Amino acid sequence: MNKAGRLRRVQSRKVRLAKEELERIIELCDSIEKSGIDPFSVNIKELLQKLRSILEGSDNLDVIVLDAETLYKISLVIALQHRWLKERASNLFIDAQIVSAKVLAADNKSLAQALARSWRPIVNGEQLTRRMIIEGMEYFLSLPPRGGKAEERNLTSNLTYEEASISYELLQDELLEQRVKELHLELLNEKLGEKGVNYWGFIAKEGEEKKLERAYVLSFLISEGFADLRREPITGELWIIPYREKIERRTPASVAVTIKRGE
Amino acid sequence: MSAEHDAEQKAGRKLAVAVAMLLFTSHRLPGVRGYELRRRLGKNYLKIIDMLNRRLNPIGLRVKIVFEGRGDKEHGQEDFDKARFFITLNEPLTLSDIVAAGWRIDEVAILSATLALLYPRGGRATYGEVMELLEAKFPKWRVESALEKFIRRGYLYKDEDNILHIGWRTYAEIDQRELAKAITELHQQKSYKRS
Repeated sequence: MNKAGRLRRVQSRKVRLAKEELERIIELCDSIEKSGIDPFSVNIKELLQKLRSILEGSDNLDVIVLDAETLYKISLVIALQHRWLKERASNLFIDAQIVSAKVLAADNKSLAQALARSWRPIVNGEQLTRRMIIEGMEYFLSLPPRGGKAEERNLTSNLTYEEASISYELLQDELLEQRVKELHLELLNEKLGEKGVNYWGFIAKEGEEKKLERAYVLSFLISEGFADLRREPITGELWIIPYREKIERRTPASVAVTIKRGE
Repeated sequence: MSAEHDAEQKAGRKLAVAVAMLLFTSHRLPGVRGYELRRRLGKNYLKIIDMLNRRLNPIGLRVKIVFEGRGDKEHGQEDFDKARFFITLNEPLTLSDIVAAGWRIDEVAILSATLALLYPRGGRATYGEVMELLEAKFPKWRVESALEKFIRRGYLYKDEDNILHIGWRTYAEIDQRELAKAITELHQQKSYKRS
């Protein structure tokens, strides 16, 4: 290898070493900035001397750019030192080690009490209005079906708004209560079969348009304990058992019923 | 007389708008920015806020302003425009109030300890460092679930480098000075009892 080649190799090795050294300093400054450890744990004077010697010994453009970046990172650590000193000088400062010891020595209740003394929670309201519910429902019903033909899909996507929705008035408590009472009376007057009143027959009694509404009101009646709903395990048939008086249930359970058009 | 009455009515209306803006969440986070208040209430919105504050104080509430730069410097108009305005309680809650509101004492203790550890470290520390300290006192699963909850609620914030920071809600709700004082006094009481 000739002299020029050897020189080039030495030069490139010097550049690589300088870059590695600068990257190490940048990494060190970053870790101080991110982790919040004591910024005085690094010797700034020493870092600047290193930086100077690297800059004086290299005319490589990459090294010079990296050197400038390192200088910027060191200046950030100096800014952190400034803030650190300011915090220490203020009356807010308590040494981190002392705080850790205090936290470890204190019992849970005392720690919670310390926070309670300084805690003034935000007061704000979050609410869903009736108008928002109606808007949400209208939006939902206006959505096109996702994939597949509309005819293959059941219930809501094929129904009009009027068909699918339970009348808005029914959402009002008083009217609902009245409808529950009426349905209870109707159920008591219903001819009881061996197993009770057939669920599907009962809800479809007033036609297709009222089916969903009757099922909705009936669900309140059952939840309140004025009726029971039993599912035949083999046939899957649903039977309503009406009660004159409200009954207490020891182990209440939920039954999900899917209502389809024409069922 | 009529002009005076009009001005009074106008101020009353603005007050109502300010209350609605501050109390009801219209964004993902509670509270509103100063520039939003300025847009709805006009350039003298700080006077309306001041008036609102005087009305809220007797019922135990106050308007809390959280500035973007956390320093103690004098704040200019621009700082107020960028600041976030909240309504908070005026007096701290008792521990039994906090428990009645659904918080567990050990969860509150974990938040107290975490903030006490973060404040002297310039408001941030590595998640691992905080976990290590808290694990000496609480079960690991409890610490993890509590920190997760406080991050979700905005009391703490964890960045992509796994550094835990003080969250926006802490700046709005917790009085740093008071907490530091409470932690110090707590220790003094303990030492006194021992001696």
